[in-house]
Amino acid sequence: MIGALEVVVLVATGALAVFGLLLTALNRPPDRTLRLALGAVVALLAVQAVIAAVRVLTGTQLPETTTFLIYLVVSVCVLPIAGQFAFAEPSRWGGAVIAVGAIATFVAVLRLQGLWQAGGA
Amino acid sequence: MPEPARATATGPGRVLIAVYAVFALSATARAGVQIATRFSEAPVPYLLSALAGVVYILATIGLAGRGPRARRLAWAAVGFELAGVLVVGTLSLVDAADFPDDTVWSAYGRGYGFVPLVLPIVGLWWLYHTRPR
Repeated sequence: MIGALEVVVLVATGALAVFGLLLTALNRPPDRTLRLALGAVVALLAVQAVIAAVRVLTGTQLPETTTFLIYLVVSVCVLPIAGQFAFAEPSRWGGAVIAVGAIATFVAVLRLQGLWQAGGA
Repeated sequence: MPEPARATATGPGRVLIAVYAVFALSATARAGVQIATRFSEAPVPYLLSALAGVVYILATIGLAGRGPRARRLAWAAVGFELAGVLVVGTLSLVDAADFPDDTVWSAYGRGYGFVPLVLPIVGLWWLYHTRPR
């Protein structure tokens, strides 16, 4: 979709999921490091979404533009909501909640890349 | 005196609610796009996807809420969800002609890593585990 950025986004999102699950496995509540990691991943997703949206709206042809744009919004919004929910209760399960959000985001980014490639761009 | 019910929205229940919320979002959004753009191609699967989306939303609300009413809603929605994935999963295999496009529940949720089959079982167990006693 956007060259190297899509690989970085997938690796970062996957690493966030592993980090969250690790905190749950170690019986630790979500901490400041996880909060910073979450922020960094969301920032990457936002950059990707802006670039992709600009390309779509300035002429890149895709077979399913509406679906693509919905996935784009989902890819940015899921993790901040999961973060709110995770940090609201300081228990070991917060990390796993963030991991669920990260996995859902990972799948959404994969679907985005599939739709982009279907457009032949 | 019976011990009051444990809240479903604490501890591991929060992970369950997160998974339900993701499915509520994805099933509803997917059905919305399908119905809006190509409803006539496969009306039965698209309506079933929409139904699944509503059931996931109700289950999320029920599990995230507090008190006996939220608990009853969760029992009903998660129970319906288990029945739905079993009935639709079976029909989609037996009567493939009526299912030209997939729903969340087709082939017991194979397209979603069978999470739609496991989720209601975990949900019912969690409701039972936190019941008043």
